[in-house]
Amino acid sequence: MDWLKELGRRIEMLLHRRQFSADLDEEMQLHLELRKQEQMERGMAPNKAHSTARRRFGNVTGIKEKSHMSWGWDWFEQLMQDVSYGVRGMLRSPGLTIVALLSLALGIGANTAIFSLMDAVMLRSLPVKDPGQLVLLGDGSEIGITDDFPNTALYSYPFYRQMQKKNAVFSDVAAVFSMRSDLHGSVEGHSETEPMAVQLVSGSYFPVLGVHAMMGRTLTEEDDQTKDGSPVAVVSYTWWTRSLARDPDVLHKKLRIGSTLFTIVGVAPAEFFGTKVGESPDIWIPLSMQKEIPPYFDAYSDNFGETLDVIGRLKPDVNMAQATANVNLLYQQILRGFPNAHMDQKSLEALKNTHVALTPMAKGLSDLRGQYSEPLKILMGVVGLVLLIACANIANLLLARSTARAREFAVRQALGARRSRLIRQLLTESLTLALAGGALGVAFAVGATHFLLRMISGGTETVPLDVSINIRLLLFTLGITLITALLFGTIPALRATQLDLTESLKDGRGPASGATKSPLARALVISQVAFSLVLLVGAGLFLRTLINLDNVNTGFNKENVLRLQTDTSSIGYKDDDPRMTQLYQQIEDRVRALPGVRAASYSSFTFDEGSWSGSIWVEGFNNNKDVNVPHNVVGADYFATMGIPLLAGRTFGPQDFGTNSPKVAVISETMARTMFPKGSAIGSHYGMDGPKHSGDVEVIGIVKDTKFQHLDEAPTTLDYLPYTEHPMYLEDFEVRYTGDFSAISSAVQTAIHGVSPNLQISDVTTLEEQVGRSITSQRLVAQLSTFFGLLAVFLSCIGIYGLMSYVVSRRTNEIGIRMALGAGRSNVRWLVMREILQLVAVGVAIGIPVALAGGHWIANMLYGLKATDPMSLAVAVVAMLLVAVVAGYLPARRASRVEPMVALRCQ
Amino acid sequence: MNRDEIPPGTLYLLILKTLALGGELHGYEIADAIQRTSDDVLQVEEGSLYPALQRMLIKGWVTAKWGTTAGNRRARYYQLTAAGRKQLTVEVAQFERVIGAITQVIQTA
Repeated sequence: MDWLKELGRRIEMLLHRRQFSADLDEEMQLHLELRKQEQMERGMAPNKAHSTARRRFGNVTGIKEKSHMSWGWDWFEQLMQDVSYGVRGMLRSPGLTIVALLSLALGIGANTAIFSLMDAVMLRSLPVKDPGQLVLLGDGSEIGITDDFPNTALYSYPFYRQMQKKNAVFSDVAAVFSMRSDLHGSVEGHSETEPMAVQLVSGSYFPVLGVHAMMGRTLTEEDDQTKDGSPVAVVSYTWWTRSLARDPDVLHKKLRIGSTLFTIVGVAPAEFFGTKVGESPDIWIPLSMQKEIPPYFDAYSDNFGETLDVIGRLKPDVNMAQATANVNLLYQQILRGFPNAHMDQKSLEALKNTHVALTPMAKGLSDLRGQYSEPLKILMGVVGLVLLIACANIANLLLARSTARAREFAVRQALGARRSRLIRQLLTESLTLALAGGALGVAFAVGATHFLLRMISGGTETVPLDVSINIRLLLFTLGITLITALLFGTIPALRATQLDLTESLKDGRGPASGATKSPLARALVISQVAFSLVLLVGAGLFLRTLINLDNVNTGFNKENVLRLQTDTSSIGYKDDDPRMTQLYQQIEDRVRALPGVRAASYSSFTFDEGSWSGSIWVEGFNNNKDVNVPHNVVGADYFATMGIPLLAGRTFGPQDFGTNSPKVAVISETMARTMFPKGSAIGSHYGMDGPKHSGDVEVIGIVKDTKFQHLDEAPTTLDYLPYTEHPMYLEDFEVRYTGDFSAISSAVQTAIHGVSPNLQISDVTTLEEQVGRSITSQRLVAQLSTFFGLLAVFLSCIGIYGLMSYVVSRRTNEIGIRMALGAGRSNVRWLVMREILQLVAVGVAIGIPVALAGGHWIANMLYGLKATDPMSLAVAVVAMLLVAVVAGYLPARRASRVEPMVALRCQ
Repeated sequence: MNRDEIPPGTLYLLILKTLALGGELHGYEIADAIQRTSDDVLQVEEGSLYPALQRMLIKGWVTAKWGTTAGNRRARYYQLTAAGRKQLTVEVAQFERVIGAITQVIQTA
C-alpha cells in the first residue's frame, strides 16, 4: 500500500506543481540569504559573502531541476508540451489534418465495426458459469426432427435422460430443443396476440448453465417430469421490458399460447440470451410441454424422435478424451437398448462405426457462426489492408511535411536537442493524430456496426446480437490505433531527424533536396497501388459470384410471387386439428378468387427454410432405408403458384384433396431418375415408415428439379405430398399475382382475415426477396469488399496526387529551365505522367501475383468462377491504371503551366 | 580547515539522523547541523539537500510545513515521520554493516 500513498503524493505534486516550485524557490532563496548573512557576521564583505554562499550552495538551476525531476513528472510535462505543439502544428495545415483524420477514422472505424461483429459471433464466451466446462454432443449441425439411425447431430429425449443418468464424466447434462419456436401468444388479460420466440429446454438447462433468475425462479427438474405436467415459463429480461414494461408483478401473470396457459415463474438475468448466439429467445418452457408448442412434436417419450441438442458440464477433473470415451460407450449402449431400434445387420454395422465427437460449448452454438465466420475473416483482412493503405497515405503526408520542417529540426539539433528527443516529439504528434482518428473511428463504428447488423439480418427483424461498445472492443481499437501510429509515424520521424546539419542549415529548400528521388515515398505509393489492386480483384470476384448466384436457375419462377406466413397457433389450432386443412383450403379458395391472383397455395416450405426428410421404400424395388428424401407438403395449386414445370404425368387436382382420396405424390426428376427403374416412375408406388408401407403412395407426376435449400446445391431428390394426406402445421402461403405488389398484398391479407379474423400474418414479402436472403452473406461480402476496394483506390489516388504535387512543386525550377530551353507543354506533361505510370506499373506488377496467391483464401467463397479469373484481374488492372492517370493528371497539368520566368525567379 | 565530501549514499542517513536529533528543522539548519556535529569535517554541497528532501517527502519519510524563523522569516520546516524513523534504523544498520566490512579489510594486516 506504500506505493499507492507515494503515487498519491506524486499526483498531488503534479496538481499543485506551481505551488511546489514556488515553495522550493523560496526555501532555497532563504538558505542563500542566511548563509550570506552568516558570512557577513563573520566579517566578510557583502559581495564576497554572496559569492561564498553561492559557491557552497552549488548550481541553483541544476538543483532546482533535480528536485523537480525527483517527483517523476518530467516525462509527463514534456508529453503535454509535445501534444500541444503537435496540435498547433496540425491546426496550421488543416487540409492535411482533415484528410489524415478522415482516412484514419474510416480505417479504424471499419476495423472496429467488423471486429465487433466477429467478437459477437465468433469470439465471445456465453455469460454463464464456467463456460469452458460446457461441451455439446455432436457438432450441432442439424436442426429439426429426424428418425435417422444412427444420428450424432440430434438426440431424442429418452436418450438425453439415459445419458444424464448413466454418464460418469459430467456433473450434469441438459437438453435444448434444436430450434426456436416463433409463435404468437398473448399475456393473459391482453386482447392482442404478440410474436413470441419460445425455446424448449430440459429442466436441468438453467442449473447446468449455472444461471440464476433475476426474479422468481428458473426452470428445474420438477418442471420436466411428466408430459404436459408443468405449464410454466421463464421470460427473458428483454421480453419483460418490451411486453410488460418491467411490471414488478410479472410473477403473477400468465401467458396464453394456443389453448394452454403458462404461469410465468421467473425472469432471466439481462445478459443471458440462451445458448445459441443470434437467437435470443423471449421465453423458456420445459420440454415436458413440447406438445403444446409449435411445431407440436410429440417426442417426449419417443426413442427415435431426435430433436435435441445435448449439453454436458464436464466434472472438474475430467478431460475431453475421457469424456468422449465415456459418451461413445454409452451412445452404443443406449441406442442398442431401445426396443424399437431397427437392428438389422446393416444398422448394427453403421452404429458400430459411428463416433460422437464432443464440441466445446464455451461460445455457445450459432448458425450465424457457420455462415459468417469465413466472410467476417475475409472482411477483417480487407479492412486491415484498407487501414494499411491509409497508414501509407499519412506516412507520405508526414514525410512531405517533415521535409518542409527540415530547417526547424536542423536548428533544434544544432542547439543541442538529442535526436531521440526529436523522434519522441514526432511520434507523440503521430500518436495524437492517431488517437483523434481512433476516437472518430469509434463514433463511426457505432453507426457502421448497426448498419452491418441490418445487412446480416436480411429479413424484417434485426438479428439479436449484442454489438454495443465494450471494453474488449475499445482495447482492440486502442491497440490498432497505437499500431497505426507506429506504422505511419516511425519512418517519417526517423527520416526527419536524420540530417546533414550544415547542408540543411545552409539552405532549407535548395534544388538539391528538391530533386531527391524520395525512394521511400515512392515505395509507399507503390505498395498502396499493389494493395488496392488486390482489393479490387477480390471485389470483382465477389461481385461476379453474387451475380452468378442471382442468375442461378432455381427451377421455379421467383418473379411475381408473394409469400407470407400464417401462424395457426395464434388461433389455438394444434397439429392434429381437423379444422386446419379446412382453413388452408378456405384461404386458398378465397385468395384465388381475388382479381390479379393467378394461383395460391399453402406449403410446408418454399426455399431455404430447412427441411423435413425421411426414409422411403419403393415397391418392388430392392431399396434400402438409407434413402433419405426431403418432403414438401403442399396445396393443390403449388406447382402453378411456384411456376414449376410438369415433365410427365399430372400435378395435383381437387380429386387428390378429398377426405378419402387415394394417396398420391408428385416427385422431382432427380428422384424419378435415381430411385425408380428407368422410365417407370409414373404409376409406381412407394411409402414411408418401413417396407410394409411401400405400396402406400402412387406417383402421379414428375416435375422439374428445383433448388430447395441453397442456390448452389446439386439437383436433389424431393417429393410433394398433398396436405390432406399429411395434415400438419403449415406456415408458408404463396400467391402468384399480376400487377402491383402492395395492392395484392393488402387484398390477400384482408381476404385471409375475412376467413379467420385473428390469424396472425407475418413476414409478407416476395419470393424473389426470400431467395435473395439465402445469399445475404455473399451479398454482404460483395458489397463491402466493393466499397472498401473503391475506398482503397480513392486513398491511393490521394497518395499519388499528393506525391506528384509535391514532386512537381520541388521541380518547378528544373521544369522552368527545361521550358526555357524549349520543351513544350506536352513534353512537360509527359515528363510527369511518365513517372506516375512507372509507379503504378510497378505497383500493378507486384499486385497481380499477390492477388493470384491470395486467391486460394477465398476460393470456396466463389461461385461459378475461379479465383484466377482473368476477366476480374483485367478489369481491376485497367481500372487501377485509369484512376491513377486521372489522379496524376492534375499535377501534370500544373507542371505544364509553369511560367519559365516565374519558375526561375522563385529560387 | 580540511573538509571531506560525504561518502556517497549517506546523505539520507545524515538528514534522517539530524532530524531525529533536532526535531523540526529547515534546510539551512539541517546543513549547519550536519557540519557542526561532524566538527566541520563533513561538508555537504548545501544545495544537494533539497533534491534529497524532495525525494524523502515522496517516500513519506519526512513531512514539511511552513513556519517562522527566529529572524521572523518564512521557512519550511521538516519533521521525521514514523516511516522516517524506521528508515533511519535501516540506513544505520546498513551503514554499520558496510563500515564494519571496510574496517575489517583495512585492519587485516
